[in-house]
Amino acid sequence: MSAPLLEVENLTVEYAVGDRPVVAVRDVSFAIGEGEVFGLAGESGCGKSTIAMAVLRLLKEPARVTSGSIRFAGEDVLGMGEAALRRYRWRRAAMVFQSAMNSLNPVLTIGEQLGDVFTTHEGATRREARTRSAELLELVGIDASRLRSYPHQLSGGMRQRVVIAMASALRPALLVMDEPTTALDVVVQQEIMAQIQRLQRERGFSVLFITHDMSLMVELSDRIAVMYAGRVVELGAAGRVFDQPEHPYTKSLMSAFPPLHGPRVELVGLADRVRAAGGMSDGCGFHLVCPSDRSDCSTSIPDLREFESGHWVARSGSTGAVRAATTTPVPATNGAGQ
Amino acid sequence: MTLAPPTTAAPAAGAAAEPVVRVRGLVKEFRLGGLFSRNHLRAVAGVDLDLPRGSIVALVGESGSGKSTIARCLARLEQPTAGSVAFDGVDVLRTERRRASRAYRRRVQMVFQDPFGSLNPAHRVEHVLRRPLEIHGHTTSARETRARLVQLMDAVGLDPALLDRYPHELSGGQRQRVGVARALAAEPDVILADEPTSMLDVSVRVGLLNLLRRLRDERGIAMLYITHDLASARYVADTTNVMFAGELVEGGESLTLMDEADHPYTRLLLSAVPDPRRVTALDADQRRELREQVLHPTDCPHGDDSQNACSDKDPVHHWLSREPGREHWVRCHRYTPASPIATRVIAEAASAAGGDDSEPTPTATNAAPPRT
Repeated sequence: MSAPLLEVENLTVEYAVGDRPVVAVRDVSFAIGEGEVFGLAGESGCGKSTIAMAVLRLLKEPARVTSGSIRFAGEDVLGMGEAALRRYRWRRAAMVFQSAMNSLNPVLTIGEQLGDVFTTHEGATRREARTRSAELLELVGIDASRLRSYPHQLSGGMRQRVVIAMASALRPALLVMDEPTTALDVVVQQEIMAQIQRLQRERGFSVLFITHDMSLMVELSDRIAVMYAGRVVELGAAGRVFDQPEHPYTKSLMSAFPPLHGPRVELVGLADRVRAAGGMSDGCGFHLVCPSDRSDCSTSIPDLREFESGHWVARSGSTGAVRAATTTPVPATNGAGQ
Repeated sequence: MTLAPPTTAAPAAGAAAEPVVRVRGLVKEFRLGGLFSRNHLRAVAGVDLDLPRGSIVALVGESGSGKSTIARCLARLEQPTAGSVAFDGVDVLRTERRRASRAYRRRVQMVFQDPFGSLNPAHRVEHVLRRPLEIHGHTTSARETRARLVQLMDAVGLDPALLDRYPHELSGGQRQRVGVARALAAEPDVILADEPTSMLDVSVRVGLLNLLRRLRDERGIAMLYITHDLASARYVADTTNVMFAGELVEGGESLTLMDEADHPYTRLLLSAVPDPRRVTALDADQRRELREQVLHPTDCPHGDDSQNACSDKDPVHHWLSREPGREHWVRCHRYTPASPIATRVIAEAASAAGGDDSEPTPTATNAAPPRT
């Protein structure tokens, strides 16, 4: 019985803008098991990227972690000093950024940039770095001759794969991917996701996968957490959350995607509903249109409570102490059938 | 003051069936390199397209397929290299050779992809919407203007109080609705919407798509909906055309097309759309085979089509169904695309798949066993 690789507990992140801080992430807890693909879903501004940045300790002023903890393999990430942080980033946890295609340095060749990872973090010689860079490129299906290319000489999909190769260079145990394929065409995206899956299977790293594309997320993740207004409102096995969402926000989000099969049914946009009910006033803004009685949601979004084994939903109630979400990685395959 | 519509009365017979816009053999080449370069890129290579009244026609394809170029040619933002664009039966490329007349621009309006870049940040919403009313002579007094502005805001589901706001004070969804209202202000017959939802949040997208559907139903506006999102095309469009490397490869009634996709490229595209409800996914080998069929076709399953014989040189269309409401055609599978774009697009996917010979297996094989 192994401990989870990443534990985020009661994390709150604020942006100090003016005299009233904006709470971007409020009291969020989740854990990612070893070898697990964990998806963080939600719309822009819900705080999902802020969590990714917090996990890698990349938050800059005016963002501040005001409470909570992040533990990586039992080690306190928020308390790491400079030296520990250098060992932590890239070697143990690496990130593929949202606009990864443009995060390569345009004036250095691919080989120089990949080699840097080995020379900086592992003290490799340049010759060693070269060989390992070539291996790395081949791992993502790019010919080693491309080491001499500059980023602008590669297509968008290739650049994206270079960045993924770079992030996995030091075999980190956790790969954080923030919208890794957003700017790519679907046919290319499909092949890259297949490649990431293969890599993940071979090396067994964990993934924190962030995207607004629910379908893609559900296809790839073992478990997902749905965020709304800085809070996690639902957490569970990907298939289960997709097929039978419990929280009204998740239901709306899942039904905001026109299906590719079946008859045409009229969909209702989520913002339309909120607007129709009088707009975002206070609280979660969603309580106004909630189908169920959630009168106590009008001031805040409730904490997560375990709805059934491994499935957590933000709903109010008096019983049950709120604790960190389940630390059990539930495989997607049998999650849906529970 | 009245604005005369383009001359020639609509032909009495078959007027209902006559599309507002009929595009034939549209070609657009861009010169590559310097002024005297003879290198050309054929972004649109002979496209036929009809926009019937009160109907939404989708053009789906990946980036670089030429779909936006078609919209820009129709909006007369680009000068087509060849072909004809008949608007109410009049070839506007001949009658308005150099640039579109004001009457044409009134009747064909565009909604752009980027709601952040397409509204002037220095002007309030009120100004953005008032200008087309004035330019196209739809208002004579200040009071009338105000009434029209409120109507426009209502029509796109925005609170008229937002008229006094600047674009930066609005959300992306609100801005895009302003973009639609601006197009509506001219009282157009045709709206060209180029990826109108791609920069919006998922939940807001559906609202905008519903708005487009409502405008079609209530005002009978013809729309060209350009997107890379097949599911949204299926949801909003009456007919869908699949574009690949500057040419249409398949088209028809949207549900029929997507349920019975025939062309290898359409099937490749559909297979790539993430869909947790998909029953059978294509494996890496099947995808490779489809890519091969797109670039180097060997056979066409419609070889028995007596009306349109197969050809590897001409983009022959085979009709799979002419039943009203289920129309569906496909370009001959044997036709080999000459465009370098075709090779590039497919090569990109092939290279991304590089070395992926293994059988795809479920995502969760490495997940730690559940704790009990």
